[in-house]
Amino acid sequence: MPHQCTNCGRVFDDGSKEMLSGCPGCGGNTFQFHPEGTDVPSEPPDAEPPDPEGSGTANTVGRAATRVRDFVSTDDPVTPDSASGPPESPPGTPGRSDAPSTGDDAGTASASTTGPATDTGSNAGDTGPDPNTPWPSERDDGGEDLPTDEDGIIDADAREAARAPDTAGMETGGGSDATGTDNGGPLDGSAPDGPAPAAGSSSGSDASGAPNAPASEAPGEGRVASTPDEDQPDISELREQLNDQFESIKILEPGQYELNLMELYDREEYIIALQENGRYVIQVPEQWLGDQPGDA
Amino acid sequence: MGLLTSIRSSISKLFAASEPRRIGIYGPPNAGKTTLANRIARDWTGDAVGPESHVPHETRRARRKENVEIKRNGSSVNIDIVDTPGVTTKVDYTEFLEHDMAEDDAIRRSREATEGVAEAMHWLREDVDGVIYVLDATTDPFTQVNTMLIGIIESQDLPVLIFANKIDLEDASVQRIRNAFPQHETVPLSALEGDNMDEVYDKIAEYFG
Repeated sequence: MPHQCTNCGRVFDDGSKEMLSGCPGCGGNTFQFHPEGTDVPSEPPDAEPPDPEGSGTANTVGRAATRVRDFVSTDDPVTPDSASGPPESPPGTPGRSDAPSTGDDAGTASASTTGPATDTGSNAGDTGPDPNTPWPSERDDGGEDLPTDEDGIIDADAREAARAPDTAGMETGGGSDATGTDNGGPLDGSAPDGPAPAAGSSSGSDASGAPNAPASEAPGEGRVASTPDEDQPDISELREQLNDQFESIKILEPGQYELNLMELYDREEYIIALQENGRYVIQVPEQWLGDQPGDA
Repeated sequence: MGLLTSIRSSISKLFAASEPRRIGIYGPPNAGKTTLANRIARDWTGDAVGPESHVPHETRRARRKENVEIKRNGSSVNIDIVDTPGVTTKVDYTEFLEHDMAEDDAIRRSREATEGVAEAMHWLREDVDGVIYVLDATTDPFTQVNTMLIGIIESQDLPVLIFANKIDLEDASVQRIRNAFPQHETVPLSALEGDNMDEVYDKIAEYFG
């Protein structure tokens, strides 16, 4: 049983899949590996506690509350309207720079909330729900947490959120998962008062430095979690580029061809017949040379 | 393949002694390469090289006229003329449909033209000792294909002459071609009308003799 959650001390078998999405007991996502034959301490190691505030549900709730407080306090001067203007937030980029893992537009509207989400890191895709709650204008209007289509940014994120519940649900269902609480709180109404103003000022807090808290807590797990999403398009683009580069004759359709002259020139073998089915008949240099040794 | 091989091998045996320079006539489609090749061949051997046409990609396989002896100033120069398919980066059969061609024929012509370009590019790498680059003086010479081919030829250190063809046409501009490739000798001519052919043969003897 070599893996132990550094948060609650729960132990997992080697190769356990449970821990892949965070500790089901406490939502922690740091584990210590204990090689075969070594003793697994019953208590989690003190050396690397991710959170000073304790563990488990209390910890998560406490952390969320702290963040809410931070947001509220730092954003007092910011009115909801001005807060809704994400473009003004460049000064807040330090906070965002720690959260870019999630990558996309979420950055502007929900940078600060992205921070907390990524810091728990167990499911970066869940960062979506955060932006839903944030906007005070919606709250003020008595709107639900669910996104509206009025704001493009919110809406975009909200759609992700709509997709997210599957994983989020699993996490929250698992217990006091940190991510679940952070993200799900506003949605499930467990902390309806807090998140509303906090989130409402999220873009503002973004600019005013509230992200410090999340930033300091975001050691990078979130980045790892979201990497695959960003890698996918890059790989396919790269593959496309390589294909473009290495293909000497591209058959667009019968009778329509694109030729890569440098490729044709560089190749030792050369094409002497194009077949209807897209195959080539090529002249192989070895045969060529073998047949006419006397050729200068 | 076997046919090509035997042709090549008979050629090399036939002319092993004299070793004429193989001069490739290159250029974009419809620049007048075959017209020029025919003009040269008729002037010095009496035979033609191949059919000429206004339809692009009339020449879809490289054609040779061997051992063309050009006499200049009391001496003679032996060359093999290789007329090549027009080099291009795109071949589209719909282009041929405008010339009253059935779709099937157009598609086949397109495929053959593509093979021809591949062959021409291969011969440029393996098989020519010098290049006559033919351009239509009525069109813009600043094209990707021209730049790339001239670059390849330069990288091969092959002697190259640029022929500004079709000067019999009103909107021909030799200077535009000179400006495009100032590093090379540009010879104006009309292969169709036979204009300025004396200078053409002088330059061929000078560059490839």
